[in-house]
Amino acid sequence: MDAHIRKVYVPMTETGFYILLCLQQEMHGYSIVQKVKELTDSEILLSPGTMYGSLSKMEKDGLICFVREEEKRKIYKITSLGLEVLNKEQERIARLYRTMKEVQ
Amino acid sequence: MAKQKREFKIFTIVEYEQEQEYLRTQHKNGWKLVHLTFPGIYLFEACESEDVVYQLDYHKEGLGSQDSYVQMFKDCGWEYLFDFMGYSYVRKSVACMQGDEEIFCDENSRIDFITRVFKGRLVPLIFLFFLIIIPQTILQVSNLQSDPAHRTLFVVYLILFAIYLYIFIRFGLQYRKLKQRR
Repeated sequence: MDAHIRKVYVPMTETGFYILLCLQQEMHGYSIVQKVKELTDSEILLSPGTMYGSLSKMEKDGLICFVREEEKRKIYKITSLGLEVLNKEQERIARLYRTMKEVQ
Repeated sequence: MAKQKREFKIFTIVEYEQEQEYLRTQHKNGWKLVHLTFPGIYLFEACESEDVVYQLDYHKEGLGSQDSYVQMFKDCGWEYLFDFMGYSYVRKSVACMQGDEEIFCDENSRIDFITRVFKGRLVPLIFLFFLIIIPQTILQVSNLQSDPAHRTLFVVYLILFAIYLYIFIRFGLQYRKLKQRR
């Protein structure tokens, strides 16, 4: 993981985290929006501009890759680099949660 | 054919929020945006009065040709209108929204948006500013005494200088505002 990836994605935005989390399965942008809505009981509604920008950026940085296009929808999936970043972020959040519980 | 009207309005590069408000107000007054031509002629068509949110996105290459971009907005309930100078215009009726909706849902993507505007629109202006406007303004100062034509030129360059400076300052302020909100 190079310095650029570390700077931009560790820690990462909530949007970025959900994208990587969902893309462990092949999905297109709008299905990620729906999935996140479902997972968070409509608490988090990702917007198309944010979604499009994040997907393009993550694809450029090699965290996700384009698989194919279906009915004008681009389908992506996570790469090994993306998985590495996601695991790092999950560890960070788990640590944060543990610490929070200990202090309480 | 529905009644149409044209309005001339100039918004500088960073006044996208004002532009969005302007278009929303027009729609509330029963005028929906149909087309926009250079330098700022807005074509509206008479419609039912409705509260519709207009939003601008920016990608240098323009994204109207990208089917997947238009499709994603469509899936999320946003109607894609057209591209104009790299800006993509979309709209969505408030009645179809869940709470307040915008095309960007976090500060990071708003900063990414304004950074794209900076690279695509402001960098060329900065080049023009340093390579033409400043040298020409200085050159015209030294020619001021000579004849009225030079004086006119001087005023023109001075006005351009002021406009450019205004745009740069507005951009800086907008960028700072977004950074602080993060």
